[in-house]
Amino acid sequence: MSTTTVAPLAVHVRAVTKTFGQGEAAVPALKGVDFNARQGELLMIVGPSGCGKTTLLSVIAGTLNFDGGEIEVFGSSLHAMKPRHVTEFRKRNVGFIFQQFNLIPTLTCIENVSVPLLINGASRRVAEQKAEAMLDQMGLPGRGHDRPANLSGGQQQRVAIARALVHEPRLIICDEPTSALDKDTGSHIMDLLRDVARHPDRSVIVVTHDNRIFKYADRLTEMEDGRVQRVHDQAGNPDFSE
Amino acid sequence: MYHLALKMLLGDRAKYLMLVGGLTFATMLMTQQCGVFFGLLKWTTSHLSNMRAKLWVVDRKVEQANELKALRDTDVNRVRSVAGVAWAVPVYVGVQSAKLADGNFKPVMLVGLDNATLIGQPPLLLRGRLEAIRLPNSVIVDELAVRRLSAGRAKPLDLGDTFELNDREARIVGICRADKHFFGYPYVYSTYTQAVQFAPRQRKMLSLILAEPAPGYSLASAAAAIEAGTGMKAYAEEELFWSTIWWYFRNTGIPVAFISTILLGFIVGMVISGQTFYAFVHENLRHLGALKAMGASNGLLTCMLLVQAFTVGFIGYGMGALLVVGFGRTAVTRGEPPFMFPWQLPAATFALVMSICMLSALMGIRKVWKIEPAIVFRG
Ligand SMILES: Nc1ncnc2c1ncn2[C@@H]1O[C@H](COP(=O)(O)OP(=O)(O)O)[C@@H](O)[C@H]1O
Ligand SMILES: [Mg+2]
Repeated sequence: MSTTTVAPLAVHVRAVTKTFGQGEAAVPALKGVDFNARQGELLMIVGPSGCGKTTLLSVIAGTLNFDGGEIEVFGSSLHAMKPRHVTEFRKRNVGFIFQQFNLIPTLTCIENVSVPLLINGASRRVAEQKAEAMLDQMGLPGRGHDRPANLSGGQQQRVAIARALVHEPRLIICDEPTSALDKDTGSHIMDLLRDVARHPDRSVIVVTHDNRIFKYADRLTEMEDGRVQRVHDQAGNPDFSE
Repeated sequence: MYHLALKMLLGDRAKYLMLVGGLTFATMLMTQQCGVFFGLLKWTTSHLSNMRAKLWVVDRKVEQANELKALRDTDVNRVRSVAGVAWAVPVYVGVQSAKLADGNFKPVMLVGLDNATLIGQPPLLLRGRLEAIRLPNSVIVDELAVRRLSAGRAKPLDLGDTFELNDREARIVGICRADKHFFGYPYVYSTYTQAVQFAPRQRKMLSLILAEPAPGYSLASAAAAIEAGTGMKAYAEEELFWSTIWWYFRNTGIPVAFISTILLGFIVGMVISGQTFYAFVHENLRHLGALKAMGASNGLLTCMLLVQAFTVGFIGYGMGALLVVGFGRTAVTRGEPPFMFPWQLPAATFALVMSICMLSALMGIRKVWKIEPAIVFRG
């Protein structure tokens, strides 16, 4: 195992289990997952519907408690943190991109993008300046004062990406970012996310079952029935660094 | 974050208008009804505000100012002879019947004042001379009497005009302004000796005695001395005021009716705003969940909901209060419906409206606290 050629770990997941419900109705969604994500890479979690991808993403992001195992994200041990500290952790370190964009319809794009900064305590003026700059960067100059509903799906997802990046989090979490978009728009969004991942101090994790976008991944983690089956790169080479 | 909270609520026009409308309505209903209620109760004490005396001596059994039991004429001197009484004067109060030019009859509240001192005189004489009341058959009437008794005349009653009071001619020598009586009777003033001439003759004609404590005596000690010395009941003005108001509270259905309306206002406000607010939170669960995922704490979300709730609360209260002030102004200038607007009233309504907002917000807050941030990933 050579660690010199491989980028440092961003996310480190060991033997994580999660069961929904109790007794007869219990659904084991994660059955001991081992999984790593590196800094500066775009990692995809793929697999059939219901295999536990979203659940895994949720526990990594700190939005869902897990039953057993250990998760470290950029040096923070989620399994050892109090809920309050997990909220703090998300606030600073995690950017979210959702399948349905989840932009607030009554707010302008600038206001939507400014939210993570405001939650982090920035002033309104600073937050809106940064939000506007980020929208420019995402290829949406001049649309800052529009409501999300006046934008196309792809543009809305760009706004969502701007919102996920504006507070410079180290971990970007995307759940099915392209499934509400057509093929070309989806490709553009993936190009964008790939560029986002090209940052040494950052890691992008994308959950998807859309095989048309697999090619954008640096590495693919295949899941099945609550377990990781295989980790490989684009050439199909297994990843021995795990 | 709070400016965004407000924008989220304002952006939902229908709910925003519903909330403000509901709270405006609740404020109006509660304040206006209470104002009318207080006004009505205050009308029951119009004798006190119109006659203004420190001590009111009445029959032992009298509990309130509108149900007087007649005393003997000699009782005035018995009160005067009590140590601690500076002076005491007789007053006649009775409902008498005035005949209108069109042949109809209207009840009036006839007040007979002590001939020498005219103590208990009308609070504000608008026209004429007070002393002229001592001339034979002379009366001073209030503005309401002018309106009521002018029916069937070409011109409203004026100084020098006459009307029939219990078949006797009464000449108007003054027009005054007086607080309105609970039963809506206009006030007609004459001297005590005139009044007992106007009124049908009865064995006892004296209604009450107005008095004042001698220097060095407190109201309480003078009242106690009068009660001990004469066996009559001596009220301090304030005491009779509250005794009268409580009497109507206990013995009429008025309070029940008004309290029900106020309760109704509270409930309607509560239901409308509580439900609307809950629906607002419910419809925004996904967005609130996303905020939570992005690291918004329960505390921050709670404050956002409180800002929303209290903002609509202030706006609704403000509009409701303004409307009531408008109503109250008209009522007070017209003299009816009864209306009284002590500062405690808007203050109490404010507290009630704010508690409505607080409760409504709490319903939403409970829901927000229960949101799992993980729901944002669920379709
Ligand atoms: N909140 C929940 N309550 C009960 N079962 C759940 C819940 N969330 C997910 N599951 C179950 O856990 C399993 C994994 O779900 P999920 O992680 O959403 O899969 P994927 O994202 O791969 O489609 C599925 O069987 C799903 O039904
Ligand atoms: Mg999923």
